[in-house]
Amino acid sequence: MDKMRKRDRLEVIHDFLRIIQLSNNSIKPTPLLRKSNLSSQSFSDYFEEMKSKGLIKEVLDKKSRKHIALTEKGFKYLEKYKMILGFIEEFEL
Amino acid sequence: MSVHHFIKPMGFFNPKIFGIEIIYTIIVVFLCLLIYYKTKEIYNLTRYKGIKYFRNAFLLFGLSYAIRFLLHFLMLSIIAFDFIIPRRMFGPLVMIPTGYLSTMAIFYLAYTTIWKKIKYEDFLIFSNFLAILVSLVAFFSRSHILLTTLQLVLLVLTILISYRKPKKVKRKTHAKALYILISIFWLLNLLLIGPRRLLPPEMKIILQLISVSVFIVVYYKLKKWIK
Repeated sequence: MDKMRKRDRLEVIHDFLRIIQLSNNSIKPTPLLRKSNLSSQSFSDYFEEMKSKGLIKEVLDKKSRKHIALTEKGFKYLEKYKMILGFIEEFEL
Repeated sequence: MSVHHFIKPMGFFNPKIFGIEIIYTIIVVFLCLLIYYKTKEIYNLTRYKGIKYFRNAFLLFGLSYAIRFLLHFLMLSIIAFDFIIPRRMFGPLVMIPTGYLSTMAIFYLAYTTIWKKIKYEDFLIFSNFLAILVSLVAFFSRSHILLTTLQLVLLVLTILISYRKPKKVKRKTHAKALYILISIFWLLNLLLIGPRRLLPPEMKIILQLISVSVFIVVYYKLKKWIK
């Protein structure tokens, strides 16, 4: 049976941020969990990590519902993702 | 008064070579710090451990080259300058940071390629222990040749470990070869400090030129990705 390729950390973060970006930079936690293809434990670990790194932020809408949006740093990560991968590969890091 | 007070130390001082040494140190330190600075943004964005260790290595090499120059200056001061620096006191003291920082730089450079295979805590304890040991040996022996020999042994061991624990790479980039060259040139530069002529000055200049070009290649490869 073909084993699915395991995504590395940087790729998971990229996919996570890309989902938010493609949702007009505003998505609720539940659809984000579904689309991210992660277990709920991994999801909350990554979520906390990205929040602490300042890549994403929580915003409340008019009805006080929680949404997740990218920060400026999050947008920059997406913009520089290919460059980061290239650099890591170049120096075998 | 002992007879040693009347004997001029054996050695050789050439102001031009000394000038080249200053320029060489400035270029290498500048390139190391530039590599460190240029990778700051992508490290802040990703907090990727491999980038952290890579940056640490170049920062430590930059500091090591700067302190190496100080050691070189102290060794030459006794024959080259009118003022007196208490070399017997400061020489061994400068040996401590030279030994510690450069040993850690070599370890960090090796660790960038194997960090996924070895726990950071284990690496940190082991490398610090060895770096302190090496710097203490250098301090008590007052010998940069012994320091070079110890670091050479450690370099050979780290190369063996990094080749025994290879990482899967998508394409060959010769990064490991560059890391090895950087470490070897450090050892050669450390060996050649002081007034003793272990190599003709022309050979030393050629070595330094090759050494600078290795750092330039690293910087060029980095610039390909980081504008």
